[in-house]
Order: sequence, then C-alpha cells, then structure tokens
Amino acid sequence: MSTEHDTTLAAGYVLGTLEQDERERFVQHLATCVECRDEVRSLERVSLALAAGVPSRTPPAALRERVLSVTKGDASERTGQNAGRVLLDLPSRGFTWADPRAWLPVAALLVISAGLGAYAWTLQSRIGSLEARLDVALQEAQASRTALVSAQTAAMGVQRTMAVLAAPDMARIDLTGQAVAPAARARAFWSRDRGLVVAANNLPPLKPGRTYQVWVLPASGAPISAGLLAPDASGVATVAYETASDLPTPAGVAVSEEKAGGVPSPTVEAILLVGKRSA
Amino acid sequence: MVLLAAVARLLPEDRERSADIRRIKEMAAGDASGLSTIYDRHSTAVYSLALRIVREEGEAEDVVQEVFAQAWRQADRYDARRGSVIAWLLIMTRTRAIDRLRMRLARPDRQSTPDPAVLDQLPAAGEDPASGLVAQEDAQRVRQALEELPLLQRMAIELAFFEGLSQSEIAERLEQPLGTVKTRIRLGLLKLRDALGGATA
Repeated sequence: MSTEHDTTLAAGYVLGTLEQDERERFVQHLATCVECRDEVRSLERVSLALAAGVPSRTPPAALRERVLSVTKGDASERTGQNAGRVLLDLPSRGFTWADPRAWLPVAALLVISAGLGAYAWTLQSRIGSLEARLDVALQEAQASRTALVSAQTAAMGVQRTMAVLAAPDMARIDLTGQAVAPAARARAFWSRDRGLVVAANNLPPLKPGRTYQVWVLPASGAPISAGLLAPDASGVATVAYETASDLPTPAGVAVSEEKAGGVPSPTVEAILLVGKRSA
Repeated sequence: MVLLAAVARLLPEDRERSADIRRIKEMAAGDASGLSTIYDRHSTAVYSLALRIVREEGEAEDVVQEVFAQAWRQADRYDARRGSVIAWLLIMTRTRAIDRLRMRLARPDRQSTPDPAVLDQLPAAGEDPASGLVAQEDAQRVRQALEELPLLQRMAIELAFFEGLSQSEIAERLEQPLGTVKTRIRLGLLKLRDALGGATA
C-alpha cells in the first residue's frame, strides 16, 4: 500500500501540525521512503534546538523539593498548587479609565460603522510592514549601539503581535474610517491573556503636537485608552498593547486624533476609525 | 557498544551525555539521587520551555513536576539510541505543555509529537549528532536563524511549535492558503536546519 510522496509532510510531522488522517498516511509512507525518513531525522535536530533555544528562566527554588518528593512513597503524580501569575516580560503601562460622557455618542458611531462595507486589508501587507520596521530598527541597531533599545522594542512588538495573533481566544475587530478620514482602515486583534494589537493604514498625517489614540469600547461604561498609535510616513501603524487582565471585554475599538501624550477620554468628533466586534 | 565508542571520543558533551544516561539507569533502579542530579542539570531547560508554551508560571511548574515524575516512573523505558536525555525530557515537556494549552481551549485531541512507537521503527541513529544531542550551540544558531526568517515563515513555525496549532489553524490565523502555509513551514525548517550546518546528512 504505497502513499504519494509529499515533501511538506515531514516538516508537519516533526512539528506535530498534521491532521490525524494525514499523520497516519505519512507514517505508512515513512516505512517505504528513505528520503522522508532522512528529512524527519534532520528536522528532529532542529525541533530540539528550537525547544532548547527559548529564553532561559530559572525555576523557583521551592519547585525542586516538590519534584523530588515523587521518589518518596507512591510514584503517582501530584499536581501542585497553581501560583496563578501571568508572566509578561514587557514594561507595564498605565491604563486610563475614561470619563463616561464620551460613551453615548461613540455608541451611535458604532451603529453607523457596522453598516459600512468591505475593505481591502491583508494580514500579508501588515506583516510586511511590521517586518520592514523591524529590519530598519535592526539595521539602525547595527549602525549604532544607542539604537539597540529601539530594535529591542520593535522585536518585542513583533513577539507581542505574534502572541496575540496566535492566542486561542483571539477576537478580531474590523475598524472603518469615519467622515474625518473615510479612507482609513484598521483591524484590531484582542486576547484577554495576551493583549491588543491594532494595525491601521491610510491614516492621515498628524500635525505637530497631535497623536492618534486607541480606545477599547466596553459593552457598557466609558471608553478605555489602550495607548497611542504613531503612523509612519505612509500612514501605516501596527502597535501591540498590553491590556489589563480585568479589562472589560471589548464590544468595539476606536481610534481618535488627540493632543500629544493622549487624553483621558476620546474627543468624539475626532474619532476617525471605529469598529464593533461581531457576535 | 556503539554508545561506548562515541563516549570514548571524550568530547565534553559526550561525557555529559553518558553521565546523564548513568543517572537515568540509577533512576530506573530506584535510586532517587539520580533524579536529583538530572533535575539540577536540566530543570532550567524544562521549565523555560514549559513557560514559553503555557505562559503562566504556576502551570509551567506543574509541567516541570509532571515531566520529572514521568521520567522517574519511565526511566527504564529510556533508550539512549533514540536520543539524549535532555531531548527525551524536552519532548515530554513540549507534549505536556501543549496538552495543557489544548485543555484550556478544549480543542480536539491531536498528538503534538511523533508517536514514540513510530520512531522505534526507524533505523537507529547511531552516533549521528542529529539523533538529539542538544548542544547549546545548536540552540543559539537556531534562535538566530529563526529571527532571520521571513516573518510569515517564522510565525508559522512558532505557531506550530510553541502554540500547537495545526496547519489549517495556522492558515486561518495567517490568512494564507493551506498549501502556502505547508510550504513556508518546510522552507523555514530547512533554513533552520541549514543554519545548524554539518552533521545533517
């Protein structure tokens, strides 16, 4: 019983990404295909290097005793108490709980934007721009050690963005341009565990002393500032924000133009992008 | 024994590797000091990988506990021909950590790593370093090479390896056709393999 040779299967097999039936077929194929067996072997070394190449963290000292206690008496597993802390190695940010007066008009905008149609936005282009930004930052870092921090920041942004995109609970919110910037488009990705990513393009150039600010719109209550958004010269911005674990589930996301440094609650007439989470 | 011939070369890694194997034999014989040595040598690698995958310290500690408990119980099943002790521990770590991620999501069950029974059927790797000796050098090279991959390739590999997503889940996340994702994952892994250089034959 021979199976067809598919060069992509060895990689999927080693990473464990194959669907069950694909995997079964590949295992049969492995028995007869030296080429695939060699590829599996060589990629296993890569897989182990990936596993061993994660950032090194020292386990807490108390864990040693807990682990070694397995040798005493019954060898059955014990599950320990859960420390219940989230590890995020990014600097903490401030969250501004906004003034309630802005909320009702924004709700009205949400209803309008929900009726707006399709737009052209691809993750491909978004990742391309993210990548370009990282490249620039890394080149700058090579040119000058002082720029290392910005490269690290860009790298952390990429990490955070990937983590949010990969999050099991990821929710996507499409934002559409309002009257002040009808061509602007954005997409927001939110995960309770991992934060918020906002990717925007066609943002109008900012005047000096002004900034874009991103708002989480809860189902009830005031908009909550997620942070600032700085577009590049072509009006593109991708920013990853850490969000508080007790952040109300976003019913929508909005972007407004504000004075530099941001404001506690959005200026309603300056909202240029808004989107509602589909149910 | 083939293994002793390899050890006779007396590279530091080989020496450590053979010391690990002796510890596992002690564990299999019920000697608890074997486990404490193995823990002291490898708990940082196990904890680091668990934490990278489950992203939560308490849960990573639980994974560490499970992995070493499994190593203690199954020490007699460890087969040095199939890979180093650290490789054995890290495979168990990744499997258990991804299982926990899946449990959180209640995603349908899918095996995250090749079935060990299948690997048994493959010819023994002998002295080939590709059989799973995890040199720190390998880890550094792969980390560096991963950062240099085109971002979509890198994301696809990270989503597969550290998040345990299937190819079709990755395709959906990255808004790419399934075929493209499969190709990118392979290309990316081959580039990582090339970055390891030598000894991949």
